[in-house]
Amino acid sequence: MLQTRPEPGAAQPYTFPKPQRLQVGGGTVVAIDVPGQSFAAIRLVQPAGGAAEPLDRMGVATLTGDVLEDGMHGNSSLAPALERHGAEWVSRVSWDGFVTGVDAPVNRITDATALFAEAVRTPALRAEDVLRRREQLLERFWLDVSQPSTLASRAVGGQLFTGRYATPLNGGPVRLADVTPEIVADFHARSIAGVAGTLVVVGDLSDVDLEALGRTVFGDAAPAEPAPVTPPERASGELPRILLLDRPGSVQSAIFMAHHAPSRSDIDLPRAEGMSDVLGGMFTSRLNMKLREELGYTYGVGCRFDLRRDSGVFYISTQVEAPTTAHSITASLEEIEKLRTDGVTEGELSAVRESNTVGLPVTYSTARSLAYAMVEMVVHDLPEDHVDRLRAGFERVTADDLRRAAVDYLKPEEVVAVVVGDAGQLEGPLRETGVGAVEVRDPESLWS
Amino acid sequence: MTTNGAAGQIGRFTLDNGLRLVTAPAATGQVAAVNLWYGVGSRHEVPGRTGFAHLFEHLMFQGSGNVKKSEHFDAVERLGGDINASTSSDRTNYFETVPEHALDLVLWLEADRLATLRDGMTQDVLDNQRDVVKNERRQRYDNVPYGTALERILRLGYPEGHPYHHPTIGSMEDLDAADLDYVLSFHERHYGPDNLVLTIVSSLDPEDVHERVKRYFGGIPARETVAEAPDATLDGPIGGPVRDMVVENVPAPAVFLGFRTPAYGEREFDAMLLASAVLGQGQGSRLYRRLVVERGLAADDGGGAADLLPFRYTPSLMLVNMIAREGVSGDELEAAILEEIVLLTQGISDEELERARAVLERDHLQSVAHPSGLADTIGSCTMLFDEPELAYTWPQRWAEIGTDEVVAAAKRLLGPENRLTVRFDPEETPAEAEGEPVGA
Repeated sequence: MLQTRPEPGAAQPYTFPKPQRLQVGGGTVVAIDVPGQSFAAIRLVQPAGGAAEPLDRMGVATLTGDVLEDGMHGNSSLAPALERHGAEWVSRVSWDGFVTGVDAPVNRITDATALFAEAVRTPALRAEDVLRRREQLLERFWLDVSQPSTLASRAVGGQLFTGRYATPLNGGPVRLADVTPEIVADFHARSIAGVAGTLVVVGDLSDVDLEALGRTVFGDAAPAEPAPVTPPERASGELPRILLLDRPGSVQSAIFMAHHAPSRSDIDLPRAEGMSDVLGGMFTSRLNMKLREELGYTYGVGCRFDLRRDSGVFYISTQVEAPTTAHSITASLEEIEKLRTDGVTEGELSAVRESNTVGLPVTYSTARSLAYAMVEMVVHDLPEDHVDRLRAGFERVTADDLRRAAVDYLKPEEVVAVVVGDAGQLEGPLRETGVGAVEVRDPESLWS
Repeated sequence: MTTNGAAGQIGRFTLDNGLRLVTAPAATGQVAAVNLWYGVGSRHEVPGRTGFAHLFEHLMFQGSGNVKKSEHFDAVERLGGDINASTSSDRTNYFETVPEHALDLVLWLEADRLATLRDGMTQDVLDNQRDVVKNERRQRYDNVPYGTALERILRLGYPEGHPYHHPTIGSMEDLDAADLDYVLSFHERHYGPDNLVLTIVSSLDPEDVHERVKRYFGGIPARETVAEAPDATLDGPIGGPVRDMVVENVPAPAVFLGFRTPAYGEREFDAMLLASAVLGQGQGSRLYRRLVVERGLAADDGGGAADLLPFRYTPSLMLVNMIAREGVSGDELEAAILEEIVLLTQGISDEELERARAVLERDHLQSVAHPSGLADTIGSCTMLFDEPELAYTWPQRWAEIGTDEVVAAAKRLLGPENRLTVRFDPEETPAEAEGEPVGA
């Protein structure tokens, strides 16, 4: 009745689309034409991420990104104006980039981009708007960290670094409170208003005048200066260790195990990400098979590298039933050790190779994903054929490469495990694991 | 094959066993988005057996006659594909997007679990996935602030014993009670090709796709007995106001309001969707302008305070949700939201309606702008309305509805007799006013 299992034939070779590149005034337009894609993604990339913020201005980039939504007339006027064009404002501040943009139907791209450009270049920046947004962000911080997984992820920076990375990207609930309307205006004037940046445009561009679009966005702004790269200071403290953030009555624990990793430019991506895929980057990876499919402790567990221009972090994150917390940590560490000692199987190697090569048409099947890839290339100064080079790297990767990557990049002896859960229930079992010192804290004390 | 008008690139086929196949072209090449809508959801569950349709979704990835546990995931992931599934009240949805050359493999994997899932099912697999789902419930409902809101809303919105009275995740007790025999019979009753809409979005010729689907699914027999869903008929308003006052460890007071509306697909549902967009979708909406920006009573939700929970086979629910700012009581926020709702029933402007249409259209266009979203929308339009072309023409429905019609619908449906309220208040600040008891 049923057919026998078919073997897929050879995949069609994939090449990342070559972008058009135009110099317009002080800025650069890079564009990918996707015929038939009627919804366009437009992104302006400027080198003003959180990592470059002085310690007394932490959170200014995030707050400014928020305030731009008040538009050139203030009072939250941008979004409603864009909504009438069926367009949507996009703003994402990362550690290394200040990215704004708009998603819009291609036939409304001119109007939507004009509104977007005005908002970025000449916003009202009224003090009352800044203060309103700041207070909302501060309150939002506490709402967000009432989710145990968010609390765990935001607490880890202070465990790994001193300085800027010790505080969450948005400045946290204390430092952000010190950012005034004047500081926002100064940051905007220096880093955003007059900095041309790079404009990424993806969609059906058959009727789009890219040069005009570039002129609208760049005006007479100056070329962007490269962002400084300064390796951050590491936090002190015994390693490995466990920070237990008390959340009484929790039926589940959020776990975030992290350690330092090399910077984006210092890491060998195919080796590192291939190894990370085997450990926890896929559904069928070892951690998920162990904690979810074998032990039934969790709904899901994963791991990944968070790479920045001047540093990196490797982390494992999951949420597990409270009584299984201690074993979830030791079982995860055992999986790391196994990978470092025994390396990967041929099946795992082929999964890594194939998923990162033949799968590229899926990865880049939307305007947004293509735009995101272009933004990453701009932020990290990657070559135009970065995706193709990466693909070639995965095609070459060997089992030994992945085993060595586990040795080079996984550091169980340097792990800090942040656990958010019921301390009364968890402290004893966590101490008994012998993983390292256990410190119990009230979450609210983290940012005071 | 039949096609229709502007959406003329859609291909429709029905196999002899009842499987409905729909094909459509993708905007980007080299990919195939495969989407399966089975006409089974939590509306088919009975008291004591809640959570089963969703638990079953998990079991579908645990191996079948010719596929080992986790092998389905492995096969798709190693192709770099996207793969997942979801369960709602009305359907269970399995989807994967893969490089085009792997379409046959995905069709075979899907056909195998449709035809032979029962051969691969064991007690160990059931026990393991039961634990996984219980942890999913903890993660999404029990261990997060306001996590039980939806469960409480459905409890108030639909009477005891009604198939929409419970959420798809089910209760811990019912999950514990799930047994292997029931798993096997659930598959037999609900998983047949005659209960499936298969949508494939790709650059391939529709006839070619049809041939492949026939090859893999054509030999699977239709169900011998077609399962019937429990009666979901419900007339009239909620019979409110009804409310559920929850005092627990939450960071701030939160207000959830719900109103019964006509079923998804009815014209008055569309009118209420426009009303919800005027009221609470986008930063140009009334709730955002008034309560977030001007009065500073509600936390900034980016303009996501109102929407409709679309149910095809019973009245849907319009939901309004906001969280209070520091120093603002739940009562104050609730009163302010109700004030805006009353104002909505008194009139809206052409400009507001135009903005609402643009917001809805934008969301629709964005969802069909990628192959997976387009396949899902086509599957939905085919399963629920037998009109796949609606995936392209849906926004036209909103163009035909004017301000008078929106206001009339709002006036009819947004009154206290049709209102449910779920309020969360932090433990430190007990609710200031005594609430009406549940069911009052």
